Amino acid sequence: MGIKLDSSGPSMQDFHCGNKCTWCDGCGDYGIWTAVKRALVESNLHPWQVLLCYDVGCHGNTSDKLLGYRFHGLHGRVIPFAAGAKLANMKVPVLAFGGDGASFSEGIGHLVHGIRSNYPITFVLHNNANYGLTTGQASSLTWQDQKMNSAPNGMPEHTLASMDFIFSLEPTFVARGFSGNIPQMTTILKAAMQHRGFAFVDLLQACPTYNHFATHDYLLERCYEVEGHDTSDFKKARELAVNTHDKIATGILYQNESQPHFYERLVPRQGKATTLVEEVVKQDVSGLMEKLV
Amino acid sequence: MNRVSLKIVGASGQGIISIGEILAKAFKRSGYCVFGYREYMSLIKGGHGSYQIDVSDRMVRSSEEKVNILITLNHHGFEENLNDLKDGGIIIHDSPSWDFSPADEKLLKKHNITVLYLPVGEILQKIKAKPILGNVVFSAFAWSACGRDTDLLKKMVGEKFAKKKDLLEQNMQAIDEGGAYRMQHASDFAIDMPHPDDKWSDHLLLTGSHAMGLGIVHAGVRLYAGYPMTPSSPLLSFIAEIQNETGMAIKQAEDEITAAQMMSGANFMGTRAITATSGGGFDLMTETLSLDGIIENPSVFVLAQRPGPATGLPTWTAQGDLLLAAFGGHGEFARCVLSVSDSDDAFHLVNDAFTIAEEYQTPVILLTDKHIAEGIYTQKPYDQKKTAIKRGSLVTNAAELRTLKSTDRFDPDVPDGISKRWLPGSEAATYVAQGDEHSADGSVDESSVNAIAQMRKRMKKMEAMKKALPEPVLYMTGENGNVELSPKNDKLDLLVVGWGSSIGAIQDVLESKALQGKRVGYLHYQYLWPLKTERLQALMDMAKKTIIIEGNAQAQLAMLIRMECGRSIPEQILKFDGRPFFLNELTTTLSSRMK
Repeated sequence: MGIKLDSSGPSMQDFHCGNKCTWCDGCGDYGIWTAVKRALVESNLHPWQVLLCYDVGCHGNTSDKLLGYRFHGLHGRVIPFAAGAKLANMKVPVLAFGGDGASFSEGIGHLVHGIRSNYPITFVLHNNANYGLTTGQASSLTWQDQKMNSAPNGMPEHTLASMDFIFSLEPTFVARGFSGNIPQMTTILKAAMQHRGFAFVDLLQACPTYNHFATHDYLLERCYEVEGHDTSDFKKARELAVNTHDKIATGILYQNESQPHFYERLVPRQGKATTLVEEVVKQDVSGLMEKLV
Repeated sequence: MNRVSLKIVGASGQGIISIGEILAKAFKRSGYCVFGYREYMSLIKGGHGSYQIDVSDRMVRSSEEKVNILITLNHHGFEENLNDLKDGGIIIHDSPSWDFSPADEKLLKKHNITVLYLPVGEILQKIKAKPILGNVVFSAFAWSACGRDTDLLKKMVGEKFAKKKDLLEQNMQAIDEGGAYRMQHASDFAIDMPHPDDKWSDHLLLTGSHAMGLGIVHAGVRLYAGYPMTPSSPLLSFIAEIQNETGMAIKQAEDEITAAQMMSGANFMGTRAITATSGGGFDLMTETLSLDGIIENPSVFVLAQRPGPATGLPTWTAQGDLLLAAFGGHGEFARCVLSVSDSDDAFHLVNDAFTIAEEYQTPVILLTDKHIAEGIYTQKPYDQKKTAIKRGSLVTNAAELRTLKSTDRFDPDVPDGISKRWLPGSEAATYVAQGDEHSADGSVDESSVNAIAQMRKRMKKMEAMKKALPEPVLYMTGENGNVELSPKNDKLDLLVVGWGSSIGAIQDVLESKALQGKRVGYLHYQYLWPLKTERLQALMDMAKKTIIIEGNAQAQLAMLIRMECGRSIPEQILKFDGRPFFLNELTTTLSSRMK
């Protein structure tokens, strides 16, 4: 790897934005923010060539901390917005970012159908296992019995088995990274952007203020990069993804490029070289009218 | 005006629609104007539904309350619909043994109603045809009872089954038998039809949903995202049905929130995308509506009304969501609310909605209702020449794109609050479409100065829009289209104000003899929010009396009018039972209010 020194290509500086970061010291968002910019640069993309869509949460505050065409929308709803945007212009790479609260509570239905529809977008889960921006309430990925804001006795519900759930949806791309490992996240994100369909990227991140169980040190100690793993082996990938008790496997865990994505499956779009954006012109409906006489 | 009406009643799934469609098309093709209206319950099989067609040599846009011919596919028609017949009407049925109660016998006699038995089962047995062909036998019998030649019916059915030889032959036999039975057993009973007028034969026969679907395609809309909900579902079905011809991307979403978000995302990227739903689904979309307001995203929501609250009367009609459209969604933001009225503007207003959405970079809500969505209209083929695709201040030129700064996107100091818009993927300075309050480039800015500047920027668009939107249209008896009156010289006996689908019944009343000798104007609103009231106020000053007609319980347009200009319209004709305004009913009510 390495950043291209060729002056014609994009640089990290091109994505630089003057706004100051507002995350807590030690927040995992810094690492992810850096890895995203690096992945875009290494993919040879200029800011004007991408659309970055953010959900609501601490990660959503990235929306004005880098350049690129960006969108910062409603809580839980980033996937359908990003999918609609992508279908409109297949030439623009679209990345969507959401936290564990947005993706596994408020907008879980969209995650299910995003994977099921296999939209050709990259979805990055900022997984800090709690609601940071609203000051530390439990999410469905918070460990059970943890005492959290609004749950002084610990959450009564059990923790959602997120990876088992994701694999039950027959995804075509699953990867996991850790906010302390920027080079690996960069590699994962670049591969995710190249993926044919819906790429699910789970980035485990520290929340130094509210998450006192899966801390940066905890993750640093347990996360390891998988080596020699056959990413086409669904069963093995699922095992690696689910078994996180002692060690946490990171890297690209599963990829299946044989499945056409949503747009490829749309019969009316077969063989069309133009995008929906390019097709906004007055359409003649004489033929359709004739059938109604 | 001579108009004739037929009503087919029976259980859902018995073939009411099939008979209705055959007859409607046959009448239209023989030179009649047809208006069709369906009533049914929210179930797939059973219940008691109806399909009424009103036929005339002149324009018809509404249903009469009483019909000339009632076709009943089961005995429930005898129990439910005897009062629906005009004097001298005919009932066609196939219930072999039915004893009318003495009271019913008296009623039939009083109104001189003829009951004709058509042994459909026997006829089908004779020609060895399946029960489904009973619909064709009924149609042929009724067609013949209207004094029509069965050749046209044969030609039409022939087109449908041209490639299915067996079915074609049986259909032809069924038509022959139905016609022959009428000649043998009921030749005395004929409905007196007006002379056909050839001008109708090249017209389209279509539902309001077809009309809107054609309008969507015509306006260059390339993505449709929706979730099924009556009465918006027929639009989804039609758009999906024609997708291989139109090349559009269609998404049946997992819920209405998704549909609204996908539509918004696609519009943000720069195509034209639309979604359609009904009240409950629109409730779910209102958070997205608010988002589109702050990110200044052109977006179009079709809200097909039915009576609420909650599931309400799922398969009936209403004009009860005007205030929801005008005020739904949190926070204050610019928006535009339009309402279609019939098959004509259901086509044209789609492009208008997008023109406004793109010009002012706001969400637009396009209202329709069940009566329009499922009503069957005789429509002059649409004039496609006058349509222009206008995209507001969208920048696509490469040289101009290079001159843009990030802060041009939401610049609060531009005239009318309408800043430059350019699309993701354009080689230009980038910005963020920010759901948080933001400064000119979309960066979060919670300062007081900025909050005021950006709110003013967005609300200024509403003022500009209000200035630019057309005033409501004035219709007068005997005059075509929009009429101009002079406040100095003209007086009105009555000014009627309304919006949406009630225009059909109102115009038919104006053209009937009921209000002859009176100077009556009908002021019809298509552009409802922001609301223009200057023309209305001038006309109110010229009128002895003003009456508002609405399909809701609170007179919601009257509420908006009072809110905008302080003028009250205390005389109201309101209907909120799920039924549209019927011709005779409205004639009677209006005549009595004139006294």
